[in-house]
Amino acid sequence: MTTGPGPHTRLAGGLLLWYGVLGGAVAWAAHLLVAWPLDELTCAAGREHVSAVPLWLAVWLAVVIPGVVTVGSLLVATLVWRRTARASSAGAEDRAVDRSRMLAVVGVWANLLFLTIIVLGGVAVLVFPPCQG
Amino acid sequence: MSTTTSTAPGVGRDDLARLAEHWAEPRSLRAWFTTVDHKKIGRRYLVTAAFFFVLAGLSALVMRTQLARPESGVVSPQEYNQIFTMHGTAMIFLFATPMLFGFGNFLVPLMIGSRDMAFPRLNAFGYWVFLFAGLFMWASLPFGAAPNNGWFAYAPLNQVQHNPGLHMDVYALGLLFLGISTTSGAINFIVTALKLRAPGMSLNRVPLFVWAIVATAFMVVFALPALNADNTMLFLDRRFGTHFFDPSGGGNVLLWQHLFWIFGHPDVYIIVLSALGIVSAVLPAFTRRGVVAYSLIVLSIVAIAIISFGVWVHHMFATGLPQLSYSFFSAASTVITIPSGIQIFAWLATMLLGRLVLRVPLLFVIGFIVTFVLGGLTGAMFAVTAFDQQVTDSYFVVAHFHYVLIGGAVFPMLAGIYYWLPKITGRMYHEGLGRWAFWLTFAGMHVTFFPMHLTGLFGMPRRVYTYRSEPGWDGWNLVSTVGSYLLALGLLLVLVGVVHALRRGRPAPADPWEGDSLEWSTASPPEPYNFPVIPRVHSLHPAWDARTAESTTTGATAERVLSDGRRTLFTSELDARTERAVDMPESSFKPLVLAGALLVFFTAMLLAAYPVAVVAALVVAATIAAWLWPPRRPDEELGVAS
Repeated sequence: MTTGPGPHTRLAGGLLLWYGVLGGAVAWAAHLLVAWPLDELTCAAGREHVSAVPLWLAVWLAVVIPGVVTVGSLLVATLVWRRTARASSAGAEDRAVDRSRMLAVVGVWANLLFLTIIVLGGVAVLVFPPCQG
Repeated sequence: MSTTTSTAPGVGRDDLARLAEHWAEPRSLRAWFTTVDHKKIGRRYLVTAAFFFVLAGLSALVMRTQLARPESGVVSPQEYNQIFTMHGTAMIFLFATPMLFGFGNFLVPLMIGSRDMAFPRLNAFGYWVFLFAGLFMWASLPFGAAPNNGWFAYAPLNQVQHNPGLHMDVYALGLLFLGISTTSGAINFIVTALKLRAPGMSLNRVPLFVWAIVATAFMVVFALPALNADNTMLFLDRRFGTHFFDPSGGGNVLLWQHLFWIFGHPDVYIIVLSALGIVSAVLPAFTRRGVVAYSLIVLSIVAIAIISFGVWVHHMFATGLPQLSYSFFSAASTVITIPSGIQIFAWLATMLLGRLVLRVPLLFVIGFIVTFVLGGLTGAMFAVTAFDQQVTDSYFVVAHFHYVLIGGAVFPMLAGIYYWLPKITGRMYHEGLGRWAFWLTFAGMHVTFFPMHLTGLFGMPRRVYTYRSEPGWDGWNLVSTVGSYLLALGLLLVLVGVVHALRRGRPAPADPWEGDSLEWSTASPPEPYNFPVIPRVHSLHPAWDARTAESTTTGATAERVLSDGRRTLFTSELDARTERAVDMPESSFKPLVLAGALLVFFTAMLLAAYPVAVVAALVVAATIAAWLWPPRRPDEELGVAS
């Protein structure tokens, strides 16, 4: 006889799944809402530092941290996808597994997309001085 | 209008009689004004949006006639400004979104196996508000008071010192009024799709059209507040002397653009996404197979919905912001082509792997793919900041967005009209007339808008009232004008085709196309209760699935017949497990009264009749209180607010 996962495990699993699905989207949104205003507002104020941190470094961090979060989300989605694929190929007919697998596929592709956006947008930090008009 | 009905063997005659009695709405004037039936409301959305489309189309013809020759004087500059503003405003706000809401209203409950929308009275209210707001805006044109600042109404030209009169007050109040309809409709779609799906229709069995409508509805809920805030501030600036957009008083003109495009760019996808949903719904019937890569299309829909919120600054690449900050928006604008491309490739693969049945809806889908891809290519060009700065505010932009919006929205809508006409009216359309309509529309569209790429590259600015002949724009403008009349002729033939079908079309069977989704498993047109038995769904293509069909016949159970009242079934959000039956509201005058009171309120605000506005506001409050007053059945559980 097998016992199902406890409520804490189920909650943790559910949260991980949603991190795998939406982590990249949220990270990119945070990246956009931090990096862009940081650059705009600091330059508009005629400064090149944010609280003694050079602006280029602050913007760089606003690219790298969301990038790392998205990579984590991608790994989680991939893991869920592999596990659910294994369960499906073992012949288990469970709608929850089917649904998780579909969400994992969505997560893998979405995270790849959002990682691409963050990287493409972030490359400019290496090329342009922050306040070049 | 004839009706083709079939009696499900799993449901008895008594059940059918009770269902008919509970869901019946008499044919009377009172019933016409009080109906809450989603199918009638959906049809009204379609007809009203088509009416506003005709008005906006006629405005376009006046513009094209004015621009056919250099230094022409068909209309005055003041009239031209009002006509092009009303054309854009009506096409975006009064045609495209409401038309898709019309399709959604008619189809979403049918596709998910429900008997109505989650909030039927709110649905009726949304329609009346849409109608009144549309009339409110169009009625200003004969008085010479229509909006005259472009559909985006940039500051500072929208300020009262630069633009006196009622023009921009009509714009701000009209869009605020209309926003009530759009928001209520969006909330209704979300709840309907999440809570009223037939048992068994888990997330991975939801039709792509429904996915698209739900994503669109979420986008509306998140995007529209920015526009509402913008218009509220505009009205306060103009009428009460605030300085939100006035730099001399500490305001910021760019604030208007930021807020407008935070709404405006997602709005492009609000329009296009639902239309793409129509394409995914039409293709299976005419390729005889399910759409390839269902999960990837769902991903694309969700990804587009999210990314569209992070690209608004690509409309502002010429406003002088630092170049580094452009890169974040340029990247997102470029990458959004990937999910869009995924859908295009999935449809092409579906056509490649399927067996094509070349009927009019499929012709429009093919026309859509050709046109939308061209529009997408120029869209990707705009994502490149350097190119955008060269052609911004030129006719190249006009060409681009007409390719996207006519290709990406109008063609799918036309495909949808021909595809679902038998379901909506119970009549088949005339194939020959439909083919003529397609070819004229397709040719007219490209003859009109392709030359605009060239006039744009030759330097013709958009929004100009007239031009001199020296720059060499006159030949291409004449071609565009000829094309616009061709396009109008094609669209007129669509209308003729619909009228012909209604009057002389042969009766439609329940499923003339062998479609895959649930609406084809019920009568044409559907009975007021939609389904004699709420089906149990077993696959992504329930109408092709024997077990789903069996669930409505020999497998019918009392909990899915629900003939004891005006009831439908609540199911869980993810897996669509049966939760309980819920009562649906009866017909009511309250939606009409509430919308009417709001019309009086907004008209009084426009005319600065503030005491009248206060009275109207009190009527609005009283009607809402009466609407929400608990029904006199405390012992009975009512699952759905209305």
